[in-house]
Amino acid sequence: MTALHRFVMKVARAMALLGGAVLVTVIMITCLSIVGRALNATLHVLVDAGLMSAFAQGLIDAGLGAIPGSFELVEAAMAFCIFAFLPLCQITQGHAAVDLLAGALPRGMNRLLEVLIALLFAAVLVLIAVQLYAGFERKLGSGQTSLMLQFPIWWAYGASLFGAVMAAAAGVYVALVKLYELGTGRVVLADAIGADH
Amino acid sequence: MSNLEIGIYSFPVLLALIFLRVPIGLAMFSVGFGGFYLVMGSARLPLAQLKDLSYSTFSNYSLSIVPMFLLMGYFATLGGMSQALFKAAESWLGHRKGGVAMAAIGACAGFGAICGSSLATAATMSRVALPELKSYGYKGGFSTATLAAGGTLGILIPPSVVLVIYAILTEQNIAKLFLAAFVPGILAAIGYMIAVSIYVRLNPGSAGVRERVPYAERLRALWNVWPVLLVFVAVVGGIYGGIFTPTEGAAVGALGTGIIAWVNGGLTLRTLADSFADTARSSAMIFFIVLGAAFYNLFLARTRVPQELSNWVVELGMAPVAVLAVILLIYLVLGCFMDSLSMILLTVPIFFPVIMAMDFGMSAEHVAIWFGILVLIVVEVGLITPPVGMNLFVINAMDPETPMIETYKAVVYYVVSDLLRVALLVAFPAITLFLL
Repeated sequence: MTALHRFVMKVARAMALLGGAVLVTVIMITCLSIVGRALNATLHVLVDAGLMSAFAQGLIDAGLGAIPGSFELVEAAMAFCIFAFLPLCQITQGHAAVDLLAGALPRGMNRLLEVLIALLFAAVLVLIAVQLYAGFERKLGSGQTSLMLQFPIWWAYGASLFGAVMAAAAGVYVALVKLYELGTGRVVLADAIGADH
Repeated sequence: MSNLEIGIYSFPVLLALIFLRVPIGLAMFSVGFGGFYLVMGSARLPLAQLKDLSYSTFSNYSLSIVPMFLLMGYFATLGGMSQALFKAAESWLGHRKGGVAMAAIGACAGFGAICGSSLATAATMSRVALPELKSYGYKGGFSTATLAAGGTLGILIPPSVVLVIYAILTEQNIAKLFLAAFVPGILAAIGYMIAVSIYVRLNPGSAGVRERVPYAERLRALWNVWPVLLVFVAVVGGIYGGIFTPTEGAAVGALGTGIIAWVNGGLTLRTLADSFADTARSSAMIFFIVLGAAFYNLFLARTRVPQELSNWVVELGMAPVAVLAVILLIYLVLGCFMDSLSMILLTVPIFFPVIMAMDFGMSAEHVAIWFGILVLIVVEVGLITPPVGMNLFVINAMDPETPMIETYKAVVYYVVSDLLRVALLVAFPAITLFLL
């Protein structure tokens, strides 16, 4: 069980790191685009002022400027990032909850609740993945492309779907572990939170 | 059951689930789905909504600020900026009565200018300031309460993750909201420092004395915080100046703090991976709540509860300020056990139409911004209100020698300072709005 758990943790962490790498890439592209836009504006000033205007115009014509449609890239990438982030949050039980009554309920009741919540969560995550797949199929069929960059929307849906499927798997895994914990009285998931820090 | 009734009954169900420790995003999602099913009589519409809702929520351009700001906060911590800020504030304020505690507040305010989260600010500054406070003879409960309160500055002083969410929910301009939060944020820092000086006078022996630092050393310490200043000016100045969008500003801030952390030797492959993992957990948590709230609010809008509620309140004929006071009071109570983001996502779609239907003698945009700042503050007060304020728990846990009750006793001074400030901002909206 612990070997399996270590493996699942590794996969979830790898997904988070992949999402992090994409996030940093998006940050860099956005910053490059700002620099390009600023340079482009400066070049236009040079052209208007007649200073090195041929050189400046040449650079403008060569495409030095803001990255067109970079916000579309940000949007598509961010959806993937969040879906890729979900498995780690799921497995480390990182979701915000209110702990007010937890102490007041009897222990057995709490454990049962935990299992029910994990089952509900798994069902919802699977539902999200299944419906996203339906959305993906629709975009695939329609061939819709993004406005500026003209990339097919289904690419973005497909990338997100990968994350969503992993998140659903993580949800199901957590539910199974909770059931196992209820059945055997052992604790598997508490280690996960400790391992994260 | 009419649609309106379904909408109304969904509240107690939702609250019951939340109190049974169902994660807040999951609870909102489930009740939204169930409610939708009841209203429509079939699951077809909610299922159809879901084909695009998760993707469109997670790919929201304005929301992409959130992970970037989170990453920026982690980088700022790695870059040792909390250390530099505290040293600078301490060299200028440390010799005063309660000065080291004031310095902790000042450093929290400074860190808040590059970090958008309250808990992160409190936790980061505690690591730096708690040992120092202790070494100068500051009492444990006083120290932990100071840092818990100081942490709330992280969210008040822009950039602020919660304000971004409010802006998206109410379709307001993020840059203007950041601008409006600025003066209340400074007021909060000053108010906390006044609370410190009252506390040390009423509780003699709670704070030690620290030597005066020569001016040359003070200036050197101040010089060391230039990276923080640079990042803040670049991000906030760039957004206000219209040079870039808030998302682009967040990207610049994340890259800037990342470079500073790298130059200072704080950023290695190992810490980079850890900050990715932390960003992942926090972002996933936030976005899942946003998704649940989006779904729940779609359902709620269909039941017309928000409109009916605001009509009902208007017909009551209460004074607008009284309505506002009641709403703020509800936030204070809720804030005692719920985190700020969940609270905003859960309640703003309901309360915002009510407030907008009232006549405060201001333009609609001004009311929206003013209300946003007030909500932001009362929500933060909840984080430091005994018995279950979240900041109190986190900071108290970092100082095992101090019993919780000591932190409770000391934090009251800061809560009073907060409440006075809220009253001030309600009475004089211009304090919030004059910069716009």
